[in-house]
Amino acid sequence: MSDEPAAASETDADTSDSIADMVGVWAPRGNEVRVVAGTAVVLALFPFAFSRMPVVSDLLQGYQSLATLILIWGIFALGFDLLLGYTGLLSFGHAAFWGGAAYTAGVFSQQVSGSPVLMVAAGTAFAVLLAWALGFLSLRRGGIYFAILTLAFAQMLFYMSSSPLAFITGGENGFTGVETAELFGTFPLESELPSVLGLLLGTWLYAFVALITVLCVALAYRILQSPYGMVFRAIRENEQRAEFVGLNVWRYRLMSFILSGLFAGIAGSLFTIHGTYVPLASFYWTTSGEVVIMTVLGGTGSLFGPIIGAGVYLYVENIVSGGHPFDFIAPFWHLILGLVFVVVIWVFPRGIWGFVRDVRDAVTGGDD
Amino acid sequence: MALLETENLVKEFGGLVATDDVNLAVEEDERVSIIGPNGAGKSTLINLITRRLDPTSGDIRFKGESIVNRDPHEVVQMGVSKSFQTASIFSNLTVRENAEIAALAAEHGSFGFKFLEHRDSLTDVHEVARNTLDAVGLLDQADRMASELPYGDKRRLEIGIALAAEPDLLLMDEPTAGMSPEETEATVDLVEEVKREMGLTFVLIEHDMEIVFRVSDRIVVLNRGRVIAEGTPDEIRGNPEVQEAYLGGVDL
Repeated sequence: MSDEPAAASETDADTSDSIADMVGVWAPRGNEVRVVAGTAVVLALFPFAFSRMPVVSDLLQGYQSLATLILIWGIFALGFDLLLGYTGLLSFGHAAFWGGAAYTAGVFSQQVSGSPVLMVAAGTAFAVLLAWALGFLSLRRGGIYFAILTLAFAQMLFYMSSSPLAFITGGENGFTGVETAELFGTFPLESELPSVLGLLLGTWLYAFVALITVLCVALAYRILQSPYGMVFRAIRENEQRAEFVGLNVWRYRLMSFILSGLFAGIAGSLFTIHGTYVPLASFYWTTSGEVVIMTVLGGTGSLFGPIIGAGVYLYVENIVSGGHPFDFIAPFWHLILGLVFVVVIWVFPRGIWGFVRDVRDAVTGGDD
Repeated sequence: MALLETENLVKEFGGLVATDDVNLAVEEDERVSIIGPNGAGKSTLINLITRRLDPTSGDIRFKGESIVNRDPHEVVQMGVSKSFQTASIFSNLTVRENAEIAALAAEHGSFGFKFLEHRDSLTDVHEVARNTLDAVGLLDQADRMASELPYGDKRRLEIGIALAAEPDLLLMDEPTAGMSPEETEATVDLVEEVKREMGLTFVLIEHDMEIVFRVSDRIVVLNRGRVIAEGTPDEIRGNPEVQEAYLGGVDL
């Protein structure tokens, strides 16, 4: 991706080094500007095309709130792919971080502050700490044992929030006391943006979620371009060799786990803001399963695949289940979802994004 | 003080004694080969030194420091690198990235928090990786996927990864196993070049007598886990016990 001709990158290196001296690690390098700007443009057009644009939105039958939800799950899946697609670790307990952040953000809004930014900060902080602790315990074992350990920890949290901690979490009813305030104390999240922005983006909530999504894409892309991206893939490829070049495989895996917990935490907090409610199912194993399916469906080992996977999954779950495009399929939406998954994995083993990449390579002759 | 020492090193697998009271010393700048018939415990010995296996008893010291309680990556960080018997590479990474992984570990330690720093800024890593690939003759293939290389080149990359870790001691486990005669020749040239230019201390495990006699300063002969002879290539060549145990009495 960033493999430019040597001559060009040498001259680039001089200028970008001097910029890097001024802004330190934050200076954009390589394709970063292109990736982030591209993401921003797509996200700016997405809700309009999905829910308001003539003809297209009639075909899609999308709606604003679903557009927001797709981005939230997209962030979750994006972080999950750092762990599954890049580091090669299958966690089956990421509901713990999604749910943990969702409850934390909810309780925080009731007890401390309803500021959306602070809610996200609080939920994410909790998820990161939880990921550090659970990662520390789960990563003692590899493969299927790791998956089962993460599943067991997440189910313990599900149980804790369903009854022993029901006085905080609301138990079976979920947490209903979410009190979200205005964004930056000024903009009600459910209100429309002014003029053209309102037509494109819709609500302040979407704008807020989309901004965070862009930041998450930028962060994930930077992580993948940092030494970590290379080390993660090396561990996935050949764990023993990574250990025998002198890398502390265990600590890198823990970092991968914590970083994916960070993304899950951001997403979980936004989920609370989006729904102003935390269902008990946030901690349930199906949530962990859904993020696995979204990631694999979209394409593991890619930046945008998991976000697309989240979109396709939620589209079937919310639109097709409502009887679109054909009324008679509504009761069978679970079946449709299963079929979509099976067909994608059969036909494009590297997911939807893998297929997109193959097409692009075929068109451009493999030049990235 | 020897660079690497083992003291009364024993490794038992159940009832089988794979390493039997081995006392070995490798001096700095020395090229030592370990030979012996199949099952003599050569690989076990290497695996003990790289901490892939725990010894049953005895001690291993590197630069005078005991390493039996260290993790494998710590031993690598101390300066012991290993090239594997099979091409143990990162298949779906480019050749360049393969070398960079090792260079990263050598230049920046076993772990770091640089997940926000772009790889392009790690000029030291790029330089080491580049020099290493140049040394093993793979620089012109740097952008290929490692999985696309022919077998001989994969093995060269394997040695390259071990060299990029900038070791003080290189352990080579049958570097020419499974190679064609031409590839073997090229690899032996490579080993000799490394010996000459990098002044590296290495321990070589090898079946091929011709290679062993060509590159070693000293040869250690193992049989059934024990050291049965030790000496210069000429001494080993003339040692009747070695000929009996290892070469089946055939005159060399």
